[in-house]
Amino acid sequence: MTNDQSFMNKHHFLLRRLHSLTGIVPIGLFLIGHLTTNSSIIWGAINGRATHAMDPELVEGVGKATAGQVGTFQHEVTFINESVPFLILIEITLWLSIAFHSILGIYYARTGKANTKRYEYQGNWRYTLQRISGYVGILFIVYHVATLRWGWTWLIPGGTKWDYEYASSTLAMALKGSETGDWTFLGVLVSLLYLLGVTMLVFHFANGLWTAAITWGVTITAKAQRNWGYVCAALGAGLMAAGWGALFGFLFVDVQAAKDIEEEMLRKKSADIVEPEAVSMIPATEHTLVAIEA
Amino acid sequence: MIQSNDDTDLATDTRGHAANGKGPSGARTIRVRIKRADSHGKNVRWEEFKVDLPSAGERDGAINVIACLQQIASNPVTVDGTRSTPVTYESGCLEEVCGSCTMVINGKVRQACSCLVDDYAPNDGDLITLEPMSKFPVVRDLWVDRSRLFKALASVKAWVPIDGTYDLGEGPEETPDEQQTRYKLSTCMSCGCCLEACPQYTLEEDESKFDESFVGAAVISQARYFNMHETGATMKKQRLDTLAGPGGINNCGNSQNCVKVCPKEIPLTESIAAMGRSVTLHRIKEFFSGR
Repeated sequence: MTNDQSFMNKHHFLLRRLHSLTGIVPIGLFLIGHLTTNSSIIWGAINGRATHAMDPELVEGVGKATAGQVGTFQHEVTFINESVPFLILIEITLWLSIAFHSILGIYYARTGKANTKRYEYQGNWRYTLQRISGYVGILFIVYHVATLRWGWTWLIPGGTKWDYEYASSTLAMALKGSETGDWTFLGVLVSLLYLLGVTMLVFHFANGLWTAAITWGVTITAKAQRNWGYVCAALGAGLMAAGWGALFGFLFVDVQAAKDIEEEMLRKKSADIVEPEAVSMIPATEHTLVAIEA
Repeated sequence: MIQSNDDTDLATDTRGHAANGKGPSGARTIRVRIKRADSHGKNVRWEEFKVDLPSAGERDGAINVIACLQQIASNPVTVDGTRSTPVTYESGCLEEVCGSCTMVINGKVRQACSCLVDDYAPNDGDLITLEPMSKFPVVRDLWVDRSRLFKALASVKAWVPIDGTYDLGEGPEETPDEQQTRYKLSTCMSCGCCLEACPQYTLEEDESKFDESFVGAAVISQARYFNMHETGATMKKQRLDTLAGPGGINNCGNSQNCVKVCPKEIPLTESIAAMGRSVTLHRIKEFFSGR
């Protein structure tokens, strides 16, 4: 027995259960939050509060729906990047969890041998798909994070860089493979990769949540497993809608309009920051004068 | 379940009965294709034999796959006229309670004794394919060595400890509810169908690796069966320790093929989930009690 095998055997139970747990918390939990946030590029259309502070003429120009979509998403992204405390710690926790879940997942997947050809049961297909979606999911996540978070622009067809202050427009560029937001052949491939990746990962999570309940012994009877199956399927359908919605939202947003909204929001933000400073720079005498005049 | 046949031009209706009126009851000749081997992986070859089936009136009841193998043994000549040898297989009860004649028939695992030829080959010239189970080493032809399964049963102490120096008296009482659940689990005959169909159960020829190889659904279910028995429960901890370790419950991949192929319709997936809960609680208790 080699050393790594004995390590795996010695901590067999702990590693298996940590593998199951990390899939739900933090990875699954993050996936829910991530897709909910990203789908704001769709549901932001009915978010009236997003456009309140914007120049009414601009909102009129790009359309209230587009302004709401881009505005809401931008608001979320700005919040995450500027207001969430210890963001880097959250990111490191996620990266470590995903790495752990992926490496062990591949190790475990290699212990089995798919036999859907002979036993074409629905459960057996899900077993096989769970492993395939794991492999595809890992590749997609690496591409997704490397290009948009780590800035590996050489992997983006148009070579554009994602910028959190221009969240919607630069994302549309990265997906479609051009600076103008026009479709390119490679952009279509990237978009298809996103469609596949999101679909696979949502399935992986929903099905994994279903099997986790068996692994931990939460659902025992066939009926309980079926009941929990409906819940997982509903969650999966909801997340799938959010994921696909987000993707299509970014693919079909007007890049120029998005840029205009983002710039307007940046202007508003810098105005918020500059104003108090400007006040403090007014000489004390002028304050007095103002006070007297008042 | 009915083998369709591309090689013959016999038309069949939706239920597989011959359109020409020669239904399953008629006299006919079928073909039996068998995957043979001298030992595991040695001289593996396919041989095809013809089997004559008398009409329903001339025979006594239905004909099963074992009867076909017996007919082949009496005159082992292949379809191309080569003289071969009788096909080796295991069988015991011939009524689907011992599990020894388990083999892969037309691509799916089941017992040969309960496999009726009228269902599988209703027409003249129909083909039945026989293979040994793929998850166990082949001893010869259709006979496999299921030692790993029996060793796994021993590893979870699949028995009730009643040996001792004094009379233990009557067994404990049990509720009808529990009895019903346990009765179903007791019908397991360790045939290996659940293991053959399991994507997580793979062939292991090296006996020294049996300990860390997946025990499979049958064994997990038996551990549950004996843990549910009040006297058997005295060894609950040992059983759970084995199932918590390598090759235990966590190796399950939840394809749930086991419950689909089980000839005794044992709720194997419920057993797996129930033991999942037991193992989880066992490990949590162990963590906090330190014992």
